[in-house]
Amino acid sequence: MKVTDRQKRVFIAVDVLLILMMVLPIVAAITLKVLTTPASDGVSITGARIFFTIPMPLQDLPITESQINSFLVLISIFGLCLYMTHGLKVKANLRRQHIAEWIVEKVETMVNESMGDYFKGYAPFITSILALSAFSSLLSLFGLYPPTSDLNIVAGWAILVFGLITYYKLKSGPLKYLKGFLEPVPFLAPMNIIGEFATPLSMSFRHYGNVLSGTVISALLASALQGLSRMVLGWLPDALASIPVFQIGIPAVLSIYFDVFSGCLQAYIFAMLTMMYVSGGFSLEDYLLRKEKREKRKAKNKKSKINDNLEVV
Amino acid sequence: MQTLDVISVNIWQILISLINLVLLFLLLKKFLYKPVKKILQKRKDELDAQYQAAADAEAIAQEHRQEWEAKLLTAEDTASEILQNATENAKRHGDRLVADAQEKAEGIIRVAQNEAELERRKATEDIKREIVEVSGALTEKMLGREINTQDHHALIESFIENIGEEDGGNN
Repeated sequence: MKVTDRQKRVFIAVDVLLILMMVLPIVAAITLKVLTTPASDGVSITGARIFFTIPMPLQDLPITESQINSFLVLISIFGLCLYMTHGLKVKANLRRQHIAEWIVEKVETMVNESMGDYFKGYAPFITSILALSAFSSLLSLFGLYPPTSDLNIVAGWAILVFGLITYYKLKSGPLKYLKGFLEPVPFLAPMNIIGEFATPLSMSFRHYGNVLSGTVISALLASALQGLSRMVLGWLPDALASIPVFQIGIPAVLSIYFDVFSGCLQAYIFAMLTMMYVSGGFSLEDYLLRKEKREKRKAKNKKSKINDNLEVV
Repeated sequence: MQTLDVISVNIWQILISLINLVLLFLLLKKFLYKPVKKILQKRKDELDAQYQAAADAEAIAQEHRQEWEAKLLTAEDTASEILQNATENAKRHGDRLVADAQEKAEGIIRVAQNEAELERRKATEDIKREIVEVSGALTEKMLGREINTQDHHALIESFIENIGEEDGGNN
């Protein structure tokens, strides 16, 4: 099969479109941020800014920066994954294919090692948690509001994980699950129930708190450095004194820790905890035992029904 | 512009983020894992096929090697056999040649002998005739008269015959 010029051109055009799909959401978010941020000097630590509010039952839905940013990140990740899988070949000749294969195999091994064979299908889910969390946190590198520093976003993921944990616990035996609350002694049941709900709570607060604290410390430090440079350069004329000398460079070093390292680490921790909790709440032996019992009962029912029919006849 | 509190809980936002995660999961499953795993599987199949082909080729090579080794083992015997056959053939051929030559030589000798015999006979015949004639003429002259040539000739001839026979016995 010979690659014609036309095919090559189409390939490159699709590539460009996909790269645009990756980059444009970030650019759009930055533009939105620049256009809507009011000029302010002071340190203000607040939640996400609300663009508009949609009235909804129970509670109004405010469309905030975090909502929009997380959606843009979603589109960006989708573009990235389309870009990486564009032009896959058996004889790989593109670096992006190597990266895509590396990601897929790495996550699959990780899932296999920490969850076991039964949860093989969890690899895409873990990848999506890793990607969404890491890229959301990394948005702060562009000066954007990281969606992971909004409790609602992380809570949504934690609740989904909680649902999965409970589903697998129930799958390996509902009675056992309920009985588990009464152990080791029945009057500890309230504690156990609190402990059950503490899982998603701790997961979401850990992630959200880490990212938010990074932002807070960065903001505090930036203003402190500004004050310091004003103090040191105070004797100079006004035009020179207002140059924040110490704000150049130093925040970048801290940003490496708080934005890059902490963001990736929290994503990893969240994914790890998800794997551990989901696979930890599930006992394959109990599940298989239950399945066997159920099938036996079914077979018995069928037999007795046939017997009834025979008697009727 | 309004902002949310640092800690604020909103059910709809939570729900939207949950749906976002599920959406991303489905997207990754369909657009990252499915194609990549398909390619990996394809590559694995191809690799397996190649390994199989290599193993087949090796088996065939091994088979050939064994065959040749067996052949090599028997080759020496075959060679000596061939050599023996060849020597025998050559010997037989040589023998035949010699025998032919001898035969031919004998034939030639025989022919020569025959010829010599014939010559000798002829010579004897001639000599006889001459003797007969000479003796006839001599006798005629000595006796001076005509004798019965025919009787005389027969007498002489019988005499000479005896001589000839004696000569033939000497031969």
